Parts: sequence; structure tokens; C-alpha cells
Amino acid sequence: MPSTVVERPRSTATERRKRTTAALILSLPLILFAAVFVIYPLASGALTAFQSSTLLDQSNEPNGIDNFISLFRSDGFAKAAGFTVGFSAVVVVIEMVLGFALALLMNRAFPGKKLFFTLLLLPIMVAPALLGVMFRLLLNGDIGALPALLDSVGLSVSLFSPDSVIPLLVVLDVLQWTPFTFLIIYAGLQSFPKELLEASAMDGAGYVRSLTSVIVPVLKPVLFAAFFLRAIDAIRTFDVIYVLTAGGPGTSTTTLSIYIYKTAFESGDFGKAAAAALVVLVCLIPFVPFIVRRISSTGMEAKK
Amino acid sequence: MTALAQNTTKTTATVSPPTKAPRRRRAWLFTIAAGIIALVVNVPLLNAVLVSFKPDGEIAKNPISLPTSPTLDHYANVLYASGYDFPRFFANSAMIAVGTVLLVLIIAIPATYAIVRLNFGGRWIISSASGLRLLPAIFFVVPFFILFSTLGLADTIPGLIAANTFLNLPLAIILLSSALGDIPQEIEEAAAVDGASIYRTLGSIVLPLLAPTMVAVSVLVFIFSWNDYLFALVLSTSDATPVTLGAANFITSTGIRWGDISAASVLSTLPPLLFAVFAQRYLVSGLSSGAVKG
Repeated sequence: MPSTVVERPRSTATERRKRTTAALILSLPLILFAAVFVIYPLASGALTAFQSSTLLDQSNEPNGIDNFISLFRSDGFAKAAGFTVGFSAVVVVIEMVLGFALALLMNRAFPGKKLFFTLLLLPIMVAPALLGVMFRLLLNGDIGALPALLDSVGLSVSLFSPDSVIPLLVVLDVLQWTPFTFLIIYAGLQSFPKELLEASAMDGAGYVRSLTSVIVPVLKPVLFAAFFLRAIDAIRTFDVIYVLTAGGPGTSTTTLSIYIYKTAFESGDFGKAAAAALVVLVCLIPFVPFIVRRISSTGMEAKK
Repeated sequence: MTALAQNTTKTTATVSPPTKAPRRRRAWLFTIAAGIIALVVNVPLLNAVLVSFKPDGEIAKNPISLPTSPTLDHYANVLYASGYDFPRFFANSAMIAVGTVLLVLIIAIPATYAIVRLNFGGRWIISSASGLRLLPAIFFVVPFFILFSTLGLADTIPGLIAANTFLNLPLAIILLSSALGDIPQEIEEAAAVDGASIYRTLGSIVLPLLAPTMVAVSVLVFIFSWNDYLFALVLSTSDATPVTLGAANFITSTGIRWGDISAASVLSTLPPLLFAVFAQRYLVSGLSSGAVKG
């Protein structure tokens, strides 16, 4: 984590005042921006959750907990929450395992390594929405390369049918984000104390043994960081799924983000959407300090 | 990051086999494995590139082949044909991304200096910045929509710059404060002793030292704001539409012109991709320190 502020002999009162004034002036843009675009939206969003507010009628009559009642009565929210949690759990576990394996694979010298390292990171740089467009090209029944390929080996699968759409989305998410877990774990491996490995090799540990008893324990903070960052992003998944399936067929691939978006801008129920957002927020907030601590302690670790 | 760059050339194999020949053969096996994985994760991108060069007739006929008679027609269509707004979407994205980078730097640099060096507001600002970055953007979508309609910022470039600045400020503050913490404070004290004002010290001593981090922040913020979709979807209707939204719209609104769609999606992906490749050194350090150091 960043600097510790060094205590120094207290200077004169005028100088202290000068420093405070400077600090205020320098922070002014941030204060103004945060007031308008962070504090106010947070407050007004929380308030909207307790009002009847729609796209067409923003008279904002307070309506107590009506929004929450209608939210929990409709099964859409619970279904979206279930899908989001299940989907995130599956993709994050797969991405962690594959990312780790890939990091181990790349953690040595071989011809062409630099090039492949760059190529491996490309998927992270492509906008998820644009990747969604590209997947539509790839998976399209008429012109897509994948259906054509499957066809040529005698498999005709309807990729977007209710049965196959969820596994399909899992695969797509894994393709895009395994490079991310790879990058974090790889960076961790780079600062790995090599002596530890040499010592364990000297003690006669094989590759598997040193992996389970040396590499994994030492890398634990990095693995945690990769896991949490990916989990948080997976929980708010919107772009790719929205572009590909718009949450369908039916509501089978509706994530919480898609549910909130649709509630607000398709059903036009701002109050209910704000209530849903607030519930998600309240569920996530307890994890935030934990994750911040986890991740910043990783930083300490890395700096040693 | 320096460790990372070094290790690409000088990596220690965990277990070294006794003789040289099998070792070299094993290294090639790793090349092949890495190549296959790199190919697989980039299949959608590669496919879009291939389709974008195929003439219309060939697209449906040979979905898996390389283009036999490559054409630039689709790119010409996307850029010049009337009825496509692609050049405007592209310009919008560029203005939004560049504007966001500038606004983020203008807000974050002085504020981070005040927080870290002048002890302003305390460390909780940095913690809450990290916390804010972890919250789902969707929570802010309804409040932003209402706020932007009130302020007249809906469907404007400045509006999307503000929204993207909101999304990216936390990351910038986290990265800058971490970098500032690594700069020895004595240099600034020496300047102060020589009579430099706080602003002078910030401008001519701290800024140059922060330059590498500023590059990392700029690259990341550029990519993230170029790639934003959710806020664009909510806050732009026509005037401020960026490419992420525009290219996705090609599919549903203009009938099915797959070649043009591919060309549009490839063009839309180029700026962040080129940025990422040329600034990889900064990008990797930014991503890994932003993520791992938090």
C-alpha cells in the first residue's frame, strides 16, 4: 500500500495553514466531482428504492418498502440472482484453474514466448460488447465457422437453444477472462522466491509435490486476489451476455445486471430497479473491506 | 514489471533435465502449447478479421476457409457508404476516451498528492476508492440516468466523459497513490527548502517522477472507457453513441450484412488493441499492480 506519512517536526502555524490551503485547492476538483457524480447518485439511488418512480412518471412518491415487496414477490429477481451466483462460481473456478496452469506453462523460457504472451492478453483488451458481436459472427447458424465445423463432423447443435446456451456462455467467458487470471498469477510467479523451489528440489520433492506444498501456499495471496477480482467482475457480467442473448431464451441467462437494466429501461420501473440494485449492493458491501484488505496485503507481500 | 520483462528472456526452468538436446525439444513443445492456447482464445477476433476480408458471396459459402479473393469492400462500406454512422461513432469513442483520460488525470493527480503527501482527508479516501471500484456499476445506472437528464448531460460527449471518469477515477487514485508512496519524500523536501512552493514542487519534481504511472493510468483508462458499454447504452441515444454500442447495433438494425459488421467490429477493436500492444510494458504493470497491489 501507499506511503506512510512520515511524522516530521511540526512547522510553524503559517506553514501548516499554507499546506492545508494547498491540499484543499488541489483536492477541489475531486471533491466537486465526487459530490456530483458519486455521493449524490448514491444517495438518490438509495432514495429511489423507497419511492414509486418510473421512466414516464418521476413524481417520486415515497412508497415505503413496496418496491422490495414486489421485487421479492416476482421470481425474476431470485432467478437472476441464482443464475448470476451459479454462473460466476462456475466460470471463476474454471478460469482460476486454467489461468494457474497457463501461468505455470508460461513461467519458463521458450522460443516465441514474448509474442505469445502478447497474443494471450489480447482478449482482455477487446470490449466485451464487441467480443459479443464477434461471437455472433462465429456462432451464427448460417455463416458461423463453429456451426459449420460441427456440421462437417456430423454434429448439428443448436448453440443458442435453452439446453446449450448456458454452457456456451460459460465457455465464452472462460475464453475471454482466463487471460486475466493468467496475468495476475503470472505476475505473482515472477516475484516468486526461486530459492524456495531449489530448496524443495534439493529435498527431493517432485514437480507435483513442490507445486502443492511450495508454490500454492506461497502464492495464496495472489490467488486470492485473482479469485476475488474475477468473482466481482463475473457477478456484474452484462455486456457479452446482453449482446448475445439479451438474457434469453426466456430469462434463462438474465444476470442481476441485465435484470436491473431491464427492470429500469424495459419495464420502466425505476423504483424496483433501484431497490434491486440496493439489495445487490447491501449483499456485496460486507465483502468489500475484506477484499480490500486481502488485496492490499498482497501488495505488502509483493513489495517485500 | 521490470521483473516480468527480464524474465521473458531469462527464466529459470523449475526442473532442468540433464542433457541439452531433449531440453531444447521440450522448449519447442512449450512453444507449440502456448501457440495453440493463444490461437484458441483469439478465435473470435481472428474469425472476425477473416470474415471482414471475404466478399459477400464467400461468407456464407465457406464459413471456415481463409478468404480466397480478399476484398477491402467491407471496410470501404463501413467508412464511406452513406447510411452508416460508423465514422461518427468512432470519433465519439475517441473523444470520450481521450476526454476521460484527461479529466481523470486532472482530477486524480493533484488530489492524490494532497491525500498522500499533504495528509488531506486521511487514508480512508484511498480505501473507499478501492471499495468503490469493487461495486457493480449497475447500481449507479438509474441514478445516473435521472441525474444526467436533469443536468442536460444525457446523450452528450461530456456526459459520457463524466460517467467514464466516475468509473475510472478509483483505479487512477489507487495506482497514483501507490506510485507516489514509492517516491522518496526527501526530494520534495529539498525543493521546499530551496523555496519551491507546493505547486511548483508538484509540477516540476513530482510530475516527472510520476510519468510512468501516468502512462499506465492513461493506457488503462483509455481502454476501459473505449470499451464501456453499459453506461453508453443507458446514457446515449444517438448523438453520443460510441462504437461499442454502434457496432452492436449494426447487427440488429441494418439487416444482416455480416461482412460490414465484421469490418466494423475489427475497426472498433483496433485502437485499444494497438494501444495495448505498444504500451504493453505499462499496461501489464498497471493491470497487475492495480489488481494485485490494490
